[in-house]
Amino acid sequence: MKQLTLLFALVFFMCSYAFGQRVISGTVTDENGPLPYANVIVKGTTIGTTTDLDGKYELKVPEGATTVVVTYTGYTAQELVLGNSNVLSAVLSEGVVLEGAIVTALGIKRDQKSLGYAAQEVDGDELTKVKDANFVNSLSGKAAGVDIKRSGQLGGSSNVIIRGHTSLGNTNQALFVVDGTPIANAITNTTDQATGRGGYDYGNTAMDMNPEDIESVSILRGAAATALYGSRAANGVILITTKKGQKNDKLGVTISSGFTAATIDKTTMPVYQKQYGPGYSNISGWYNSDIDGLDFYDFDGDGVDEYHAPVYEDASFGAEYDPNLQVFGWSSWYPDHPDFGKTVPFVAGENDATTFYETGLTFNNSIAVTGGNDVSSFRLSYTNFDQSGILPGSKIKKNTVSFGGSQTVGERLTVGTSVQYINTNGNGRYGTGYDNRNVNQSFRQWYSTFTDMKEQQDAYELTGRNISWNAYGVLDPSRATQPHYFDNYYWNLANNFSTDTRDRILGNIKLDYDLTDWLVATGKVTIDQYSEIQEERIAQGSVDVPEYSAYNRNFYELNYDAMLRANKYFGASDDISVTGLLGVNIRRSRVKSLREYTQGGLWYPGIYTLENSVDRPISDPYLAKIGVNGYYAAANIGLYNMLYLDLTARYDVSSTLPQGNNGYFYPSASLSFVFSELLEGNDILSFGKLRANYAGVGNDAPAQQIVDTYDIGTPFGGNALASTNPRKKNEALRSENTNSIEAGLEMKFLKNRLGFDFTAYKSNSFNQILPVPVTTATGYATKVVNAGEIQNVGFEVAANLTPVRTKDFTWDIGVTWAKNINEVIELDEGITNFQLASVQGGVTINAAVGEPYGAIKGTNFVYHESGEPIVYDHWGGGTRWRKTSEPEVIGNINPDWRGGINNSINYKGIGLSFLIDAQKGGDFFSLDTWYGYATGIYDFTAGTNESGGVVRDSPDDGGGIPMGGVVQSVDASGSYVFDDEGVPVSDGTANTENGYTRDVYSSYGYVYAPNAYHVYDASFVKLREATLSYSLPSKLFANNKIDGIDVSVIGRNLWIIHKNSPYSDPESSTSAGNVTGNQSGAYPTARELGLNLRVRF
Amino acid sequence: MKKLIFLLLVLTIGFSCSDELTDLNIDTQNPSVVPSSSLVANAQVALMDYVVDQNVNRNNFRLWAQMWSQTTYPDESNYQLVERNVNGFAYARLYSTVLKDLNEARAYMVNIPEISEAEITANEAVITVLEVFTYAMLVDIFGDIIYYEALDIEKPTPAYTDDKEVYYELIEKLDSALPNLTGNTLGLGDVIYNGNLGAWSKMANSLKLRMAIRIADSDAAKAQTLVTEAVTAGVFTSPADNFKMSYIESTPHTHPLWVTLIQSGRSDYVASNTIGDYMNALEDPRRPYYFKDTGANDTIVGGIFGSSNSYTPNSKPGWIQEQKTSTGVALSFVEVEFLLADAAERGFITTPAADHYHNGIETSIRNWTSAYNDVISNVIKVDSMKVDNDSLNTLVNDYLANVNVNYATAPGSWKEKIAMQKWLALYDEAFEAWSTYRLYDAPVMNVATGAGTTPPSRFTYPFSEYTLNETNVKAAGSAMGGDDLFSKVFWDVN
Repeated sequence: MKQLTLLFALVFFMCSYAFGQRVISGTVTDENGPLPYANVIVKGTTIGTTTDLDGKYELKVPEGATTVVVTYTGYTAQELVLGNSNVLSAVLSEGVVLEGAIVTALGIKRDQKSLGYAAQEVDGDELTKVKDANFVNSLSGKAAGVDIKRSGQLGGSSNVIIRGHTSLGNTNQALFVVDGTPIANAITNTTDQATGRGGYDYGNTAMDMNPEDIESVSILRGAAATALYGSRAANGVILITTKKGQKNDKLGVTISSGFTAATIDKTTMPVYQKQYGPGYSNISGWYNSDIDGLDFYDFDGDGVDEYHAPVYEDASFGAEYDPNLQVFGWSSWYPDHPDFGKTVPFVAGENDATTFYETGLTFNNSIAVTGGNDVSSFRLSYTNFDQSGILPGSKIKKNTVSFGGSQTVGERLTVGTSVQYINTNGNGRYGTGYDNRNVNQSFRQWYSTFTDMKEQQDAYELTGRNISWNAYGVLDPSRATQPHYFDNYYWNLANNFSTDTRDRILGNIKLDYDLTDWLVATGKVTIDQYSEIQEERIAQGSVDVPEYSAYNRNFYELNYDAMLRANKYFGASDDISVTGLLGVNIRRSRVKSLREYTQGGLWYPGIYTLENSVDRPISDPYLAKIGVNGYYAAANIGLYNMLYLDLTARYDVSSTLPQGNNGYFYPSASLSFVFSELLEGNDILSFGKLRANYAGVGNDAPAQQIVDTYDIGTPFGGNALASTNPRKKNEALRSENTNSIEAGLEMKFLKNRLGFDFTAYKSNSFNQILPVPVTTATGYATKVVNAGEIQNVGFEVAANLTPVRTKDFTWDIGVTWAKNINEVIELDEGITNFQLASVQGGVTINAAVGEPYGAIKGTNFVYHESGEPIVYDHWGGGTRWRKTSEPEVIGNINPDWRGGINNSINYKGIGLSFLIDAQKGGDFFSLDTWYGYATGIYDFTAGTNESGGVVRDSPDDGGGIPMGGVVQSVDASGSYVFDDEGVPVSDGTANTENGYTRDVYSSYGYVYAPNAYHVYDASFVKLREATLSYSLPSKLFANNKIDGIDVSVIGRNLWIIHKNSPYSDPESSTSAGNVTGNQSGAYPTARELGLNLRVRF
Repeated sequence: MKKLIFLLLVLTIGFSCSDELTDLNIDTQNPSVVPSSSLVANAQVALMDYVVDQNVNRNNFRLWAQMWSQTTYPDESNYQLVERNVNGFAYARLYSTVLKDLNEARAYMVNIPEISEAEITANEAVITVLEVFTYAMLVDIFGDIIYYEALDIEKPTPAYTDDKEVYYELIEKLDSALPNLTGNTLGLGDVIYNGNLGAWSKMANSLKLRMAIRIADSDAAKAQTLVTEAVTAGVFTSPADNFKMSYIESTPHTHPLWVTLIQSGRSDYVASNTIGDYMNALEDPRRPYYFKDTGANDTIVGGIFGSSNSYTPNSKPGWIQEQKTSTGVALSFVEVEFLLADAAERGFITTPAADHYHNGIETSIRNWTSAYNDVISNVIKVDSMKVDNDSLNTLVNDYLANVNVNYATAPGSWKEKIAMQKWLALYDEAFEAWSTYRLYDAPVMNVATGAGTTPPSRFTYPFSEYTLNETNVKAAGSAMGGDDLFSKVFWDVN
């Protein structure tokens, strides 16, 4: 009989297209009347519809379907069994929505209430609503305790830091796992790039994941949740489940298409003064003419000097503009420019740097086909992502093919696979940092308001040459047409650009075998492998030495897993559940990379090969292999659906630790208590759960930290050079550890209209493997030790509220909020500071004992006991701040808290949702204002001051800007008073003199201001995402094959509602990674607005 | 049974792999053993680069000696040291590159099977001379330094030693090496003397002479002994003996000044008014070789030291300094002549001071003229611009006859005379020019506009010492009379 049924089912399946479908209809109501927009879905499929305003629906159901499910937000779902009748109605009742299942470590689906640790799921739709080139950005504000920090460049990297920084020397990024495949999330940006010294941001490799293929994302925050993943998961896990095929009578096809346009947010750009021209000063005698701030030079040799704008300077402290004054400008020097030999009016460029940016366009097209029957299912999708940035010539293209399928063989064996191929091509990525290839370095730091972008563009397009606004000109007439510090921006982008390609395959093969009805054996092989090349070019004719560089990187990681899983119920009514797990994980990975660059220039223009190097190219090869064998066991005991105990244990043996010391063990225990089970029938409290856990996680070292090596240098003539590697390795390394405890309370009220989930945690990472700095007098810069401890204590809140729920109108509010308090408890003995990075301006980012990770150190104001900074008079007039002689802590990168509020409003099928994302606190140092305030380009350096004086006059003549503070005391001889330690002394007399803003010696710029003046609060409130969507009811398409159409208008980064830092986006940084908290040549924020369309067949 | 097999299989796979695990961690891309020669060569190149460079991130001896002024950004000519961690670079370069590589080279010597005992002894002697040179430079820069506990990773917070004690210890080390600097040429990776031990011997004695004169004000007796020993053993006798390195065409081993002046495409440096004014007053014949864009009659137009200066109207570092392959000098025959002039004045030697003084000047002029002619021949290729021998002789004679130059008639004390001409002659050896100024407190230097002072007497200790080695560096700072730019190194007694 069974076989017969199977045969029938098969025949039905095969013939379903021919036989057509059955149509059912009905009404969905609650006690008050019809429920519009209720979902009616054929169980086990994606086939479904929604009810109309009268609560009515009509649905074609495939033959063989047995049940439909009716759901409505806030109500208990109801299943309707298909009988003979084609009319099926449902009466729903408001119900307690219990927590659903969630994917946990190792891909094991668990009832969320049984978890003794915090875990949050973000639906895939949340990530595709407003697509970002880097999908991790779409998590920002949506998950508590996840700190996403984006660099802001096209295709740029983003930090994913969960529960604060835990590692001093190694990565702090969360581990990404896709369908059980741990995937690499490397940030291959150079140290120079990260510290703002130039280079391109090539992103973090987890961004390869295509949001269209994501079904859901589980975020496992604490060590107890992630312990089974082993050491790498100490920073938390982002667990991605991709979409799968489902049992269906026909091929399901989904086409989705999106388009967005991006324009710059001008509140994140400098505001330029347009009153004064190029040069460093309009003080008499600085340049050589009778008009202060202008040069004299006899261009045509007629014996008469003409006025020349000092265009060779990259500053705007020069002469006051005068439209009636004719001067030689940059264009006057180029023989192929129409202005050659002519004067131009001395006026500010009409089109300033804010007009330089273009509209960036993103096209995202995707098609997915799904199918399935009783024994097999599949999903195949293709996505094409094509994005051009706001910077001329910048492009990123991404093609993703994804396949997932499973097949049941016989009654016990299931074989499944999921494979993705991703190809990314970048062209003209944004140059970053203090580098000629970053136009913002000029726009924000070194710039001339005399420059007209349109004229620069015309000059480049007319001649194809590097006609720069910053030509040598008068400075050195023998090379007058050479660019001095900066290239023509347009020429620069067209000629000095990067390209990159990454090909990646990741996937797995999985076998599940049911040994008995309670014991399953699983075998799995996963692979993640990619190869990429990054090429950079500096063309001949640039300010910088012509160069070609190539970075090749090949990576693979293989994981072999074998696992036994038991699941058994005991007790009178099976109310004691026991699950057990025993497994082995063998991981092998290899990184092989080669960074090579030409030396001494290029022989032939336009040929970008190493062969074209004038001198011997430099190459920097790297090859590292890592192997870890892990053995793990876990048990979960559930009592009366109320009390759950989880225990895990893992033992890892790693190749990166010295033989004999390379194994380490770590356990975890979690407890979940669903106390609402004791309070049944309660109308107010719908659900309540307490949870607590403890976990230990061991971690190995990075590769190759045990044996000392030498660095090979470029030979001197015929002599080989070698040098001691500045890092002293350690033959006695041991594993590093993290211990954490966590407790949480989860409560839902009023049938789920109000709920919250609160978590508190404390984690201590100690015995850290890190290269501590040592005095270079030891012969080394760092030595690898086991030392140091970092503590993170934090609170996370996720809450939901439904203020309005009527038939036509629902309003849901979701809130996430998290605060993490980080402290570096200790470093190595005798060491109080571990420098994470040194950025320009003498500023460092540090892990300092007693401070949170990421202390910004630099020169500070010298404060009087009144809290006012001490100032002193200086030559040139006006006052300057005293600054500390030694660096002090002047800021910290860690925010006080981060949070998000998501509102979704649904009115008769029209959905409006918007996400407000906020950060309080956190600091960054801006090299942009550090230098830019000393070049006279910003608005506040022109015009008049509060007293009506000309800001650019000497403060002695009423100029300058009020500075405040208190004056340093002067002794009888007229000398300033310092105490025994050289600290300035003040009697607290208020300063009434203004600061100096006439030239490079500005009180506010890099020469005289303390670093602390350029440290800004990174707080922000942003309207991060907004969507307006409408799903056309499927009944509109009853006569054709379309199942549904969703249309939405979307916006991203639309509005910075609040920020405390001037001229830039406080989120902007050069790169993700451990070095943040510095801005140099920051890019403006791109506002995106677009349209999404999704059609389902 | 089936389950058991499965379990066994899994465990077998797991454990069978652990044996090979450790091998995975081997670095196959970088050597764990290298020949001593490549370490010595690296130390030499790193040392020379440091001595001859001018780079705002590395060293600014050419500014501290007031040879050059800066154009738009005069921070370093106002002795700014910490903002760009220039003092930290001195530690990093001299300790962890130069001295560390020499130290490693010494340790590896015994690993070479072919090398004879005598060769090891000679190699070690050369390494010792380089170490003494470097440590002496550290003392000259900072005063008290980390010495006995240096280069020992087991002592991460090493103690400082009194500068005088270090200096005297170094002199003993030099003495211990000297007898071993005899014999045949060695293949040591010696990019300076190509393994010529005789040349090393002269260098070691010249270094001893330099150190002797340094301490002459504070310990005349010791200085006299050292001078006598050095001169008897043989110091430099011609510019061919110079402790110098000829840079090569290809980056990164071109002369560092080429990188600063030409490759960078920047326009940061011009002649300083300090040297300009002195040379103009003396009508110094070296002006067109030291600087280009000089005015009428080779007048140097010097930028005001410590101020911002226009690039265009001022004279700029000369042709010779713009060449990739020019020579970097760390200790010269010219310097030796001035040291001997000093020794003669102090009665340490019997040859007349005036002879050494005049010879030093003449050699300097001839060196610069010859270097200039080389550039004309090889780069400018306008042979008519070359200076011929006759006019060169005239230049030399006229200059030496100048009443303000000639030793008999030049103004000031013998120290002031020697200081002036030595400082001028060491235009391209700016570290030593700065040391000369410190030793003699002459010639008179300008007050840097921004800083409001004449050149400092030493570097302050790097900030990193205060975070990594706080107790010791604070003790050293107190011992120096405060970790201040104007505290004195022990030999700087006046």
